[in-house]
Amino acid sequence: MNVPLAVEAIALERTYASGHTTVAALAGVTVAIRRGEFVAVMGPSGSGKSTLLNVVAGLERPTGGTVRVDGEDLAKLDEEALARHRSKRVGMVFQSFNLLPRLKVVDNVALPLAFSRVPQAERLRRARAMLERLGMTARAEHRSNELSGGELQRAAVARALIGDPAILLADEPTGNLDSANGAALIALFEELHRQGQTVLLVTHDAQIAAHAERTIRMRDGRVVDA
Amino acid sequence: MRPGDLLRMSLGNYGRARLRSALTTAGVAIGTALVVLLIALATGAEDNVRRSIFSIGDLRLVTVQPFQPGANGLSAVPRTITDDTVAKLKGVAHVDGVYRQFDAPLGMVVEGGDDATIRPQGIEPGAPIDRGDLLAGRHIETGDRAVAVIPGNIARLVAPNVGAAVGRTVTMRVGGAVKLGSTRIGGSGTPRDYAVKIVGVFDEQSSQTSFRIPLDDALLAGAENRGLTPDAMRTTTGYSGLAVEADDSTNVADIVKAVQELGFSSFSLKQVVEQIDQGFGVFKGILAGIGGVALLVAAIGIANTMVMSVLERTREIGIMKAVGASPRDIRALFLVEAAYVGVFGGILGLALGLAGGQLIDRIIRQLNPQTNPAAIFVVGPDLALGALALALGVALLAGFLPARRAMRMSALSALRYE
Repeated sequence: MNVPLAVEAIALERTYASGHTTVAALAGVTVAIRRGEFVAVMGPSGSGKSTLLNVVAGLERPTGGTVRVDGEDLAKLDEEALARHRSKRVGMVFQSFNLLPRLKVVDNVALPLAFSRVPQAERLRRARAMLERLGMTARAEHRSNELSGGELQRAAVARALIGDPAILLADEPTGNLDSANGAALIALFEELHRQGQTVLLVTHDAQIAAHAERTIRMRDGRVVDA
Repeated sequence: MRPGDLLRMSLGNYGRARLRSALTTAGVAIGTALVVLLIALATGAEDNVRRSIFSIGDLRLVTVQPFQPGANGLSAVPRTITDDTVAKLKGVAHVDGVYRQFDAPLGMVVEGGDDATIRPQGIEPGAPIDRGDLLAGRHIETGDRAVAVIPGNIARLVAPNVGAAVGRTVTMRVGGAVKLGSTRIGGSGTPRDYAVKIVGVFDEQSSQTSFRIPLDDALLAGAENRGLTPDAMRTTTGYSGLAVEADDSTNVADIVKAVQELGFSSFSLKQVVEQIDQGFGVFKGILAGIGGVALLVAAIGIANTMVMSVLERTREIGIMKAVGASPRDIRALFLVEAAYVGVFGGILGLALGLAGGQLIDRIIRQLNPQTNPAAIFVVGPDLALGALALALGVALLAGFLPARRAMRMSALSALRYE
């Protein structure tokens, strides 16, 4: 029991002011994700699943409740510490890949390490090793605008994993992929999970969610079925 | 981020929008060049003026005049400079030497004819006035009597050349009528002749009439002219002036103060130079201000470029923040990018300013070969470094707000930015 949970959210709230009304994207979410788990968060758009992911990623601060990632209470972190949280504790994969088009794939993958002050040679060595692990060695020296969607997302996963994060976060990672590439990506997640990686995946697709060990269903900012 | 990574990444960003970076850098370069050129022009002018002043005399020298301090023209109230004054001044701190001077009445060198009008100046050996300007012979020395060190023009009136004048004995007539320019004036007292041996000839650039003789000879001539004794001259008439030499020109102000406290008026080139320096300081400030306006325009250009750059790279900022860039990293990236504009613009501007100054110098010289050979534009190391620092400072200042904007950008909204 001494091992901290990968993610522990207690009564998490996130409200947005929208004109004169406030919208609650998270209205008291309590979830726990153990280390090594592969969890899917499912729900229709507007259910708050992406907000939950962003809060865990440290991209957004909750307006209420507590969230701990790998034992660290994110509310206690200032902006600089939150940046370190993003570079070391979590790895994020987006629907729209979000690679820098002017950089080579290997430099994109190595980028997070630059912000954690890893020397350049070491960064490139680790990025190449990661690309090899994901079967992307052939594309390492290409620019990201020369890659297919499937390759882009694989590169994005490599970038998310480069800092050896406690948890891999993915927000609709198959949303911009065709079904074959989507299936291959999910297979990659399953493989990473088998290797012990904690994965938190947000999707609205029940077929994708079915690959996870456990599915958290959300609606209107609440967990309806954990 | 590591400094090396920061410099490399910012340089990549600087080089990405080539045309825009080049134009912004050119703006800084022009501003810097203008500042350099204008200040170099002022410095050159100041150098020329100072050089002319240094050629007049020694900055360590304070001349004590037999008037009350603050004397100007008609209001001058005479004061007597006596040996007591000399003793007091010798006790003042930083005084290296006090040299008495007594001017005998105007006269002439008989062998030189009407044009050989002289002003016999009694001086002490080693007096500042009698140094390093010889054409032939030697200066006044201790124990000298009945000798003279004379200007080149007088020497040529009594001998075929200055060298031949040395060793000759001439008749120094003190008092009586003399010719000054084209007019004759009555002069003072009864003329009296003294035989003096010419021991040295000095360059008449410093004076065409000064006839340097031993102090005691001058006192004797002055006394006999007025029917007095030399001792009476020392106490009642007093000396014509004193040359007080400071150990260093920086201490001249202290000595001037001491002289004034003793109740005498003083004159020092050092003070003139200081006033000129002050004037040039203002002049430089105005010119720098004009150049500064150009730099200000360049700064606005930098700010504009950086704002554009931040806007263009909003999504990139979002991505970098999402993968772990701290707010400080983001700010540093944009500040360093602005710094590149400043450094490159500064170096380019300095080069432009140097080249432009030399070009204008050369053109002026070709148009007028008679012109003063001294440089018109002078760029010292302090100006060069100052210009670079100014360009860098302006760039950092201009980049500050855009960099802060990038730093404060929310990662999520930046990621959503199209």
